[in-house]
Amino acid sequence: MNNAVNRERGVEHDIVHRPEADDVEPYYEPQGNEIAVFEAAARRKLPVMLKGPTGCGKTRFLEHMAWRLKRALVTVSCHEDLTSSDLVGRFLLEGASTVWQDGPLTRAVKAGAICYLDEIVEARTDSTVVIHPLTDHRRQLSLEKKGVEIDAHEDFLLVISYNPGYQTVLKDLKPSTKQRFVGINFDFPTPEVEKKILMNEVPGLSAEIAAKLVATGGKARGLKDHGLDEVTSTRALVYAANLISAGLEPVEACRAAMVNPMTDDIELSAALSEIISAHFD
Amino acid sequence: MSHAPQIEQALTQLAEFGADARQGAEAALPAILRHGEAVAMTWLQTASKLYKQDPDSGRAFVGGSVEAESASEEVLRWTAQAAAFTRWAGSTQVVEGFMRELPAAYALLGHAGEEAWVGFGMRWCERHLDSGRAYFAVPVRELSGRQGVAGIEQILESAEELYDARHLMLVTYLQGALRVRNLLGPQAVTPWAMRGSDIMQIGRTRGEAYFRLESDESLRLLMDSLPGFRPVERSRLLSLLVEIWFGENIDLKESTWSPEKGRPFIESDGQSLMLPPVLTDQDETVLAVLHSAGSMIHGSYDPKDIRRMFALAGVAAPLEGEPISMEPLFVRFGDDMPRFKLIFDVVEDLRVDVCVTRNVPNHLRRMLREAESLGVPPDPAGSYYRYAIETLRFALGQPNELAAAERDLLARVLDPAAGIAESFEVALRLFEITQLPEIDSHEAVVLAYLPGRSPNASRAFQPRERSTESQGGQSEGEHGESEQDHESSGEQEQGEGAEGEGESDDASETEQQEATGTGTTQGVGSAQRRPGDESGKGDGSLDKGIPYPEWDYREQRLKRNWAWVQEKKLAESNLGEARRLEQEYAVPLKKLKQALQAQKPTRLAPQRRQFEGEDIDLEAAITYVTERAGGMSPEASVYRRRELNQREVSVILLADLSTSIMQLLPEGRGRLVDRVRAGILLFAESLELVGDDYAIAGFCSKYRDNVAYYRIKDFDQPWTSEVKAQVGGLSGRLATRMGTAIRHATACFDEVSSRRRLLLLVSDGRPEDYDDGGDRRYLHEDTRMAVKEAVSRGVHPYCITVDTLANEYLPQIFGRGHFLVLDHINSLPRRLPEIYLKLRR
Repeated sequence: MNNAVNRERGVEHDIVHRPEADDVEPYYEPQGNEIAVFEAAARRKLPVMLKGPTGCGKTRFLEHMAWRLKRALVTVSCHEDLTSSDLVGRFLLEGASTVWQDGPLTRAVKAGAICYLDEIVEARTDSTVVIHPLTDHRRQLSLEKKGVEIDAHEDFLLVISYNPGYQTVLKDLKPSTKQRFVGINFDFPTPEVEKKILMNEVPGLSAEIAAKLVATGGKARGLKDHGLDEVTSTRALVYAANLISAGLEPVEACRAAMVNPMTDDIELSAALSEIISAHFD
Repeated sequence: MSHAPQIEQALTQLAEFGADARQGAEAALPAILRHGEAVAMTWLQTASKLYKQDPDSGRAFVGGSVEAESASEEVLRWTAQAAAFTRWAGSTQVVEGFMRELPAAYALLGHAGEEAWVGFGMRWCERHLDSGRAYFAVPVRELSGRQGVAGIEQILESAEELYDARHLMLVTYLQGALRVRNLLGPQAVTPWAMRGSDIMQIGRTRGEAYFRLESDESLRLLMDSLPGFRPVERSRLLSLLVEIWFGENIDLKESTWSPEKGRPFIESDGQSLMLPPVLTDQDETVLAVLHSAGSMIHGSYDPKDIRRMFALAGVAAPLEGEPISMEPLFVRFGDDMPRFKLIFDVVEDLRVDVCVTRNVPNHLRRMLREAESLGVPPDPAGSYYRYAIETLRFALGQPNELAAAERDLLARVLDPAAGIAESFEVALRLFEITQLPEIDSHEAVVLAYLPGRSPNASRAFQPRERSTESQGGQSEGEHGESEQDHESSGEQEQGEGAEGEGESDDASETEQQEATGTGTTQGVGSAQRRPGDESGKGDGSLDKGIPYPEWDYREQRLKRNWAWVQEKKLAESNLGEARRLEQEYAVPLKKLKQALQAQKPTRLAPQRRQFEGEDIDLEAAITYVTERAGGMSPEASVYRRRELNQREVSVILLADLSTSIMQLLPEGRGRLVDRVRAGILLFAESLELVGDDYAIAGFCSKYRDNVAYYRIKDFDQPWTSEVKAQVGGLSGRLATRMGTAIRHATACFDEVSSRRRLLLLVSDGRPEDYDDGGDRRYLHEDTRMAVKEAVSRGVHPYCITVDTLANEYLPQIFGRGHFLVLDHINSLPRRLPEIYLKLRR
């Protein structure tokens, strides 16, 4: 019954919700020692920085780790206009009086959740400064407007992601911010792992198609230094695999998932199409 | 032999013009006399009339008569026609052409047609004798284009119009028109002529050059209207594909193919690929590029294998260092040479394509599909074509019609370890057992190749070692391979312009240059010094300039006051060139400006929490109200203002002005420096519109104490026509001491207040100078250091290069994501502003 209603209207979750014991494990295929590093950092309460190209599994990794550690995950996607009060909180009017409302970061600090600031580089510099005292031994968040400081819950963990490949040279994290984090490098998985991922993500995908998709993606990534802002990600391969298993012709599916969203450049898309048809011919 | 008295008399008369005149007439007489004595008399009279005007005319007439008679089976008509030419003095060549073409005219056009043919010619003789001469000089077969009289009429139609309207003579028009018809078909002649008529209106000389197909514009027009796929226009795609599939950079050049040369092929000299202007379609082109690149990478030019082949054939091996020709291998086959060569090519191409399929999964299947869809040419070429298709089927494991013995032989070249020498052995054996027919004409031979394949070793080539990974052997030899790569590309860089065969000398010269480490600074082979050398130029002049340190990686220390920069103004300026470029790039510039305009609203950064402004900052207002309600006394900064955030970004565009930018572009349309100039102009124009603070500078160097830094435009200087003129006059000189230039540019940022500082380097090669003693690493390391220093001073260097090999060194110097390699130099002007705008986002 409940499920039927949920399907009708979507499900509303509070942003801070702890994984339940019977939650399904978010699928994640380790590429190296990242799980061990992350667990150690979590034990020692050290903030973590995930570095790597778009769509290589950073967010999924974090979901998986939140499930493992049984902690809530609060994700904030940073953008140009994200200010510190968007993170920390602000006063709101309620009737004749004012009420303080905690921002997502504050809630995570209090609840002992993992706070994930996605693409932190995009945010305004003032918002990166508020996280400084949270990242060292103090583990404090100061709410200047309210005039209080919060000592973080002992399960609180700050995680940021950072994509160094982005061609926004002028937007880089300040070295003083960077060096406060434990860094974990992500890259696209090895062909065997990627094939495994595809077959896990898309049930019913044949091993042969998965292998071809992985080979296609591997070749497509060779175009990186030729004007593609982002290379074919594992996510794009998963999309393509999904489209194929939904009944689309492989070449069509790949074009829809791996070429059209990536580039408007005629030559680059022709080159990508060549790669695709070479593998799926 | 005795003749009737009157004929005897006429013959005697003829003898006055020389003994041979009479002999010639006597020889022809029996044929003429078949039509009666009266006819023979007229003929003889005409002959002597022609002899009288010019003995050469007479000789041509008499000499051509027998054939004319046998072709036409009459005499009087053409005799009268020939006689008519005597109306014009100096018509000798007309008569010669007429008599030579007469038999063909009768054979191809018939009697009525022949008359029409002569009629047209007469009319042109009347107007302009030279045109008449040109008309009769063209073989009738060519003139009619296998369309009979209609063909002649059709080609003359435009000529008539052009004569009436512009007084253009047939002599100017005819050769070009015929060529156009041969290449592009009859329907192309009229548009071509119309265009020419327009050009004629602009200038007579230019128009005439157009019609003679001598001017670039007509050749380009011709090439442009050739049907098919244009590889050169898609060379970026093609080089991307080569890099994707083979992981190597191979230079793609334009070949000197022209339509008369028959079927276009991609050729190779072992170092680069030459693309013809046109191929059938994209599939064929991609196949051809992959196949030809594959043969370079998979050892068709491998020196070891080639020596083995020469040993097998018992021929002396080619000299080391000389360009190699395969011809000696084939000489012993004599008349059977084309047959053997084709068999050899089928085998070797199969070997290469099987190798390529290991890189490109669908290569063989695609080739088979394309070969089947394009259709089999007529025999004898068709037999070879079908045979090659059978070998493809065999390699793909499909049913095929090859004999068991043939399959056993061919199986040998499917082995990944097989090289061209194995192909040669297999071809020698196959040559004995296959049933393929004789083939001799060049036209037939070229048709025998499957789409994508081409005659191997059609030109002399430089050996190129097989890429080791393709042989299955892994780690070993990796290093050697990249060495090889270096060298070859160095040669290409310099051999530019010298096409094909004549390249050998250049190559050996450049090899020496490479060795001295002055690869991009051509033409200077002297004065090697070790980078640690004290001497310098040392003329002790007063303006030694500003000193900068330099990093010596061998000593792991900065050498203080090592490199000296002199700031200079460019002496040359060329406003005309700047204007011309502005015109040439008017369209992209307009598009760029439109794009910028469209972007503008979003680019106006809203400034929040202002004390005044046109909008309420909602969030600030709420904060204000809440804080007030909470008993605080907040500041009333509740507005937002949209305003151009000026002085937000400052950028210096720093152009590498070393000698190498003067090189001619491979396509032959201008020099590299033209694109650099255009790029700077477009860059400045867009920056003017965007409103960012920018400066333009250039640099070059000769020795460590002589680094010139040209200030072309300073930050606060307006973009005036003087500045434009300087950009228009940019030229290349000397070498590239990049690190010092970066240090100086970094220092120049001290003048500006903005926090975001970008140093945009436009370069075409690696850092190099005359005194680096061939140690590339020295200046690389120094540049890397200079970049680090710049970053720590808040300046972001970003390098845009057109050196396709830059992927080898730029990552170390600038770091990933801090440089861009342009695949095609022509894209520089457009890309430069784009890249900047993307960077500043």
